[in-house]
Amino acid sequence: MSTPIRNTAAMTATTTSPAPTRRRSKKPIGGWRWAGRGILAFLLLFTALPMVWMVITSLKTQLAALQYPPQWWPNEVTFENYVQLLSPNNAVGHEFLQYFWNSFYVSILSTILGVVIAVPAAYAFSRFRFPGRQALFFSVLLRNMFPAVVFLMPLFLMMKWLGLVNTHGSLILTYLTFGLPLSIWLLKGFYDNIPIQLEQAARIDGATRFQAFFHIVMPLSSPGIIATAIYAFIMAWNEYVYALTFLNSKDKLTLPVGLQRFFSEYATNWPGLMAASFIMSVPVVVLFLVLQKYFVRALTEGAVKS
Amino acid sequence: MAEVVLNEVVKTYGDIYAVNHVSLTVADGEFVALVGPSGCGKTTTLSLIAGLNEISGGEIHIGGRLVNDLDPKDRDIAMVFQNYALYPNKTVFKNLAFPLQMRKLAKAEIERKVLSAAKVLDITHLLERKPRELSGGQQQRVALGRALVRDPRVFLMDEPLSNLDAKLRVQMRTELKRFHQDLEATVVYVTHDQLEAVTMADKMAVMHGGFLQQYDSPKNVFDNPVNMFVASFVGSPAMSLVPLEAVSHGSDVALRSPEGWELPLSPQNARKALGATSNQVVLGARHSTVKLHSAQTPGAVPGVVYTVEPTGDITFVQVFLGTSVVIVSLDPSVTVHPDQKVWIEFDQDKIHLFDGATELALAAV
Repeated sequence: MSTPIRNTAAMTATTTSPAPTRRRSKKPIGGWRWAGRGILAFLLLFTALPMVWMVITSLKTQLAALQYPPQWWPNEVTFENYVQLLSPNNAVGHEFLQYFWNSFYVSILSTILGVVIAVPAAYAFSRFRFPGRQALFFSVLLRNMFPAVVFLMPLFLMMKWLGLVNTHGSLILTYLTFGLPLSIWLLKGFYDNIPIQLEQAARIDGATRFQAFFHIVMPLSSPGIIATAIYAFIMAWNEYVYALTFLNSKDKLTLPVGLQRFFSEYATNWPGLMAASFIMSVPVVVLFLVLQKYFVRALTEGAVKS
Repeated sequence: MAEVVLNEVVKTYGDIYAVNHVSLTVADGEFVALVGPSGCGKTTTLSLIAGLNEISGGEIHIGGRLVNDLDPKDRDIAMVFQNYALYPNKTVFKNLAFPLQMRKLAKAEIERKVLSAAKVLDITHLLERKPRELSGGQQQRVALGRALVRDPRVFLMDEPLSNLDAKLRVQMRTELKRFHQDLEATVVYVTHDQLEAVTMADKMAVMHGGFLQQYDSPKNVFDNPVNMFVASFVGSPAMSLVPLEAVSHGSDVALRSPEGWELPLSPQNARKALGATSNQVVLGARHSTVKLHSAQTPGAVPGVVYTVEPTGDITFVQVFLGTSVVIVSLDPSVTVHPDQKVWIEFDQDKIHLFDGATELALAAV
């Protein structure tokens, strides 16, 4: 059934060239193709099953979660865990919402700051020729050549020296140093692909250099900006080691750290932990679903000349 | 509209002169073509006039005002780019409106001007489309519309036709010429295609290696090229150039080839040849001034046919005279075969003589 449908789709997609009358080959699907499908199916299960199990567990009671053999589908579906986490009036919910807010605040701020810095930096690397440009550009990547843990102690000492330990500022600064290199590289690629004549045309049409950038270049690079923003947000949202090291007062913790401390304190409440994990993954998933088309475009932009 | 004056304009990149002391005046309402091969400095010259590149030396005046240090936006010019540079995220209407918005015109005024420009160029039905939904010819019109929507003092055009297919290029060429005549606009037009320059321009500036070689009307450039470069660049097919040696026989002068044949020169051409700095003289002849004989003829020199290229109404024949190629145009009814031995007759009144050492045209003394 699927073959004729695919055929018509291919025909409509290439209306410009006279469609060659070559038909899709009817030869039987080879063993390699089946092997590929098998591997893909396995990978899908491998990544999806834990998430499915997370959701199922979050709908169980504590007792049901610990049963062996496990209940594949809870006999008694309960939303109790979610209600508890999301109501600010009880202690658990109060703490959880505090962590959630902390994570959100840190992630959003480092994302916004990251974009604000990366956009002009990438533009400058792409458009201007200044002494030390190459060296500077590669030094941006220097940070990514080492594992993140290598910087843990030096950064901690620097934060201590700056008086930023146990503040969200320390995390925002750190996340910026992680996110910026990739953001700058990605955006520079974007700006390289925008013909310089567009800006020249704008400047001749009466725009200043900044107006040309703001009115013409910025809108064209928005997929790149959105992609780097998503990347920076997700990275900050998921980060664990630095948050664990830099923060110590309970009311400042971010979700990844908070989740862990929170649930070891109350004995491991698996359904509660799974519900919290699920809530934690919601913003990222939503962000991705809404903006994924930009993300894909950004990563493939310039791969094929349009 | 305004006059554009370039005075000893220089643009350097490090030690390299991209534009080397170029001086020329584009009169008000004149259509001037900057022509030359790639890398000759023509596009750089244009972007210096536009203000997109910083000038290294000399002066540029537009309408009597020194613009060396003015931003592009303050020079009151419009430019059409080779790739059109239409704003891809804006509709055609917004593309045309952009220059007016930047000049802070009232909304009603903008709409009036955009609509009238669109009407002139016959693109009214395209106003709500995005550039990528247009054909090459339509994009070209929109680019032109964006240039003329705000009555600039000078139009700069950077190879605006080179992205079009051959047929559309010829059509747009006539439209551009008409557009210039109707608007009496000052136009500086860059092209590598000498045919575009010859057909459209009032004057053409031939550039090579950053230097301005010749600046004159297309007819004068075609009839009296100042040097071998201009001679070989303007005209299609190019002028044939044959390096020879001047020899004197008493009061007569002839040009001798390495193969041994001699071409006696008329008294006027003899005086020209004697004015050369050495005895190395290059003979130049356009295809239409050369005759081909299939049998030995007095005054004709021997050669061998290399290729025959019929184009329909004219057949071009390439003939080897020793190691140089001479192109001859023939009526298609004449049959010639490759490797056939032929005799070439030059028209003494129409040949060009160049100094073999300096490559400059030899003038009658």
